[in-house]
Order: sequence, then C-alpha cells, then structure tokens
Amino acid sequence: MEYRSQKIAYWYFVAALPLFVLQIFLGLYLAFSYTFTVPQSVVNVFPFATARAMHTNLLVLWMLLGFMGGTYYIVPEETGSEIFSEKLAYLQLFALLAVGVIALVGFFFGWTKGRPLLEIPPPLNYFVVVGALIFLFNVAITMLKANRWSVTQGTLLGGLVFLALLYLFDIPFYRNEVVDWYYWWWVIHLWVEGAWELVTASIFAFILMKLTGVDRQVVEKWLYVEIGLFLFTGLAGTGHHYYWIGAPRYWLWIGGVFSALEPLPILLMLIDTMNHIKERKNPIVNRLTWTYAVGCAVMHLIGAGVWGFLHTLPQINYYTHGSQVTVSHGHLAFFGAYALLNLMTFYYAMPRLKGIEEYDDTRGKYGFWIMTTAMMLMGLTFGVAGVLQSYVERALGLGFMTAQSYMRLWMGATFFIGLIFLSGVLTTVTDLLTIRPKVRAQA
Amino acid sequence: MTKKTAFWIFLIGTLSSAAVFLWATYDTNRQIATLSHVDKLSDEVVAGKRVFERHNCNDCHTILGFGGYYAPDLTRVVQRVGEDGIRFRVKHPEQAFANSWRKMPQQNLSDQEIADLIAFFTWVGNVNNNDWPPQDSRKRISRGEQMMVATVGVSPGAAVFQTKGCMNCHSLHGTGGTFGPALDKIGAALSAVQIEKYVKNPKGVNPKAMMPSQKDNLSERELEEVAGFLATLK
Repeated sequence: MEYRSQKIAYWYFVAALPLFVLQIFLGLYLAFSYTFTVPQSVVNVFPFATARAMHTNLLVLWMLLGFMGGTYYIVPEETGSEIFSEKLAYLQLFALLAVGVIALVGFFFGWTKGRPLLEIPPPLNYFVVVGALIFLFNVAITMLKANRWSVTQGTLLGGLVFLALLYLFDIPFYRNEVVDWYYWWWVIHLWVEGAWELVTASIFAFILMKLTGVDRQVVEKWLYVEIGLFLFTGLAGTGHHYYWIGAPRYWLWIGGVFSALEPLPILLMLIDTMNHIKERKNPIVNRLTWTYAVGCAVMHLIGAGVWGFLHTLPQINYYTHGSQVTVSHGHLAFFGAYALLNLMTFYYAMPRLKGIEEYDDTRGKYGFWIMTTAMMLMGLTFGVAGVLQSYVERALGLGFMTAQSYMRLWMGATFFIGLIFLSGVLTTVTDLLTIRPKVRAQA
Repeated sequence: MTKKTAFWIFLIGTLSSAAVFLWATYDTNRQIATLSHVDKLSDEVVAGKRVFERHNCNDCHTILGFGGYYAPDLTRVVQRVGEDGIRFRVKHPEQAFANSWRKMPQQNLSDQEIADLIAFFTWVGNVNNNDWPPQDSRKRISRGEQMMVATVGVSPGAAVFQTKGCMNCHSLHGTGGTFGPALDKIGAALSAVQIEKYVKNPKGVNPKAMMPSQKDNLSERELEEVAGFLATLK
C-alpha cells in the first residue's frame, strides 16, 4: 500500500464478502425449490420469487462493492495522489449498504418494483443513483486534480459513468411491456456486456501490469483493442435479446451477427493474459493471485464466450430462450467474468493493504479449486436440464411440468453441487478475511 | 501495431456499433406501436401490468421469455389455459396446485385485479413477436406432432394429445399436469363421440367445467384423432 486512502478499498471488500456468502445460501434455496416440494404454507410467506430477487440483488450488490473497492485501490496508484475525499467514500459505502439491507428486508415483506433483477423500488433506487453520483464525483475529481491520465484510468472512469447512466433507464414506469423489456436490457445487457466489461478490463489490466511488470505501453495497447471489440460486439449485440419481444425482425440479423462475434474480445483477453505472463519481468510471488488471473480469463471465455455463443443464434435461441440453458450460461458467465475478477482483486489488494508481502495460500488454493470445479459442474447440470427443457417443453410441446419432472434429477444434482460450491466459498471468504503471512521454513 | 492504431480500432469499433444500435433503436420505437398493438393498450392493461409487478410474478414466471424460470411462461397464457383457468389458479392456488409438486403462492388479489391481470396477458399474447414461444406456436406444434409420429412411433391421436397442450393440465401414467383429471381410464367412462363433444365445448356439457374450449385449438381431424385415442384408454 503506497497511499493512505487505498485503505478505503479494504472496507468495501470486507462488506462485499458476507453478501457473497448470503447469495449462495439463497441460491441453494432456489435449487432446493426446483427439486423438492416446498409446502404451500411456506410458499405463501417466502415464495421462490422473493428468494430469487434476493439472490440476484445480492450478486449485483457485492459485485458493485468489489468494483468500487477495486477502483478506490487503483486510482491512487494510477493518479499518484490520494482519493479526493475519504469521508465521502465511507459515506457512500454506508449509504449503499443501507439501501441494500433495506431493499432485502423490503423484498421479504413484498416491497418490490417487480422487474426481474431490478426489483429495488422507488424511492430506494433514487438513493442508488445518489450513491453512484457521490462515487463518480469522488473518483472523477481525484483523476482531474491529478491530471495524469492513462488508458487504464480513462477506461475505468468511462465504464463507471456508462454504468451509472444506464441505470437511469430503470427509473421510469413503462406502460408498454415491449418497450419495458427493450430498455430493461439497456440496463442489464449494456451493464454486463458493456460497462462492467470496461470496468473489469481496466482493473484486470492494472493488476496484470503490476503482477507481471510488463510495460504499460504494451498492456494498454491491448486494452484499447479489447474494449474496442467489447463495445463493437456488445452494443449492437444487445439485439440478441430482442428476437422474441415484439421488436422488428431485423434484430434477428443484428443480434445474431454481432453477438456471434462476442467471444472474440474475451479470447483476445485470454491470449493477451497468457502472453503477459510468459513475458513477465517480475518473479511469481503469490502464486494464487496469478492462478486467479488465469482462472478468470479462462472461465470468462468458457462461461460468457462459449456458453453465450452456443445459444445466441436465433435458430437455436428460439428453443432455448428463457430456459435453464440461460441459467447455465448466466451462472458460468457471472462467476467467470465477474466473481473471479473480484476475488482476484481481493487476493491482490487485501494482503497489500494489511502489509503482507507474501501470504499463506494453502486454504485459498482449496477455495479456488473447489469453487471453480463445482461451478463448472453446475454449468453442466443446469445445461443438461436446459437442453431437456428445450426439447421436451418446446420442441415436443409436452407441457411445462412434464419437462420439469424430467429435469428434476439434474436440478437435484445442482443442489448438491451447490453445497460443495458453498464450502469453497466459505473457505475462500474465511481465508480472505483472515489472510496471514506465509511462514518460511526455518533454515 | 502501435498504440495509436489500437486507439483507432477502439474508436471506430465503438462508434460503428453504436451507430447501428442507435439507428435500430430509433426505427424500433417507430414500429413498436404497430407490432405491439398500442391501440389496444388500455388503462386496464396497464393496471394489469402494475398488478403483475406489484406481486413480483415475474421472478417465478417468464413473460416474453424473461424473468424467473420456476413457473410456465405467460406470453400466451390466455390462449393456453383460458381466462377461467387463470382466474382459478390465481384465486385458489392451494386447490389448483394441490396435486402438484410445485406450488404457487396465494396473492390475495381482488376480482378487479385479476380481471386487469387477464387484460394484460391478453394484450401481451397478441404481440407480434416472431411466433415465440414454440410450445404455443401453431406452426411449430404441428411439426412436433409429425416428429412424434415419425420418430417415437406413437399413434396420431397420441401425438395430438402430447403436443397440443393437453398435458399442461392432464396426465397419463403419472406424467403431465395436475389441474385436470388423469386420463388413464377415460375410455372406460366416455365414448369417442362423447369425448369429442366435451373437448369442443366443455361448458356446453358441464356448465361448471374449467377446461377451455379446444374448438379453435384443434382441427376437425385432430379432434377426431385425439378423441379416438382417448377412447381406447380403458
């Protein structure tokens, strides 16, 4: 840690981790509900819908806290100056957590906006906007005052501004369901395949640069190409969500063509990462952090790139749209692209923030491999369930519940693999919160 | 490649895609009124949309394919189960799903709210959305029927039964829906002619029947075949 204000990041990370754990518990409840019968009396009080709203909002919340913490860690080093206001940063953390907790409790009592993934109701979502504005103000002022611009900084700031602007499309009430979904995707798709990619590509580039010691000019050159490709494929690629909502037919073409190219930037990112690691100028000190970097690049490609590509063409998507195939893709992609990126950032920054040069990574390694293996398996079990659903419910037309009874076995398997995933998450989170220096064997 | 070239790749890539996207957005907004029949988007429909959102229905059910995957898609729910079917499920989920291994919560909606909800579903069901979902598409289902006859080797009547949505409510050998009675022994109670008459107009036979009329769903040939098939189940 070179700058005092980088310490802010630590508290963002500490706040994010328990939310991650809670997210998994709710996920287990969801998988359980798919497999076993939850009695009417329980369903009346705590329906699947409520648990799903919690599961997804916890995801968004801990991801955003991770990105913000990452930003607070990076910006001082990149700009060579302290964060403009530490107080504002802590105020914003507190505000965001308060909104999160109120929203979750509210969901339980049926207080919801009722739009999937964006359930936080007004006026709470105005507070989200205010929190985002405080954050942007703090980061932007720090960068402007320092005036030492880099591509990494620019991408980060650009991504964060884009992220906040897109959220505004959540605010209005849309009378027309078709228009509603059209702009719903401006938040959801343009977040995960636009703004979030910018933010994470820049965090990733920063950490790679620091870890490997590869020249900034080289890393940033590739960063330009990557974000260029991300936006080229991602912006018009939004069209793959417009096939069946009542939008004009040409979206089948726009969506199909652009989104078929979406794996390219991710592939480039993987090749790029491997090249930087091969040409490293620094020794590998904390091996686990490097493992996370490679793991993130690989799982990002599998989950977002390959799994996305598999069902993005309209001819296939006609059958898989809104089935467990989407769930399989969603889990692998979020885990690979964003959960692993956040955890990599935590493993990079948290030891440094505690003044630990070389950390003991025995537990952390178990955590990484258990989580990654379990998630890959879950991707497969969800995937099998999804293919069954596409065939039995959609292609043959045998009805929803008939398909569900064939899928039950696979959703049950998901539940048990989910338990293994949970053990990996608990190991990782405990390890991060109690990270300790490596004890060298006495000579 | 220099950093400058890389910058131009970034700039041109982003701007070209944004241009396509924004132009298409402009054009979509122009066409959406026709595609979604905005003239029929009444206040009742909007009230129904609000009910749908207030009760977070969309986190279990998908609509136009988006939302939770825990319960059936609602895009064509009116065509599939009829207005009475929706009313019964929403009003008395504990009865409607008594035999189902998956339950639906009691939302305590007023009759007016349910009427609004039905208006909303009726409007969504008529959106021109490239004939999705396949399970409710006339065109697709007749192909599914052909596929079953050809590959699985079932009789045409059995194929109609399986692909025309009968199994959303009825079961055979324990597979299928639980709203309507299981039909494993229906042939012992009713003849083919009686079945055909009932399926065409359930309320005409029994005024309290919940089953929606299948007159528009099935052709004369399909009606005959499915009734013939069911009459053999004894």
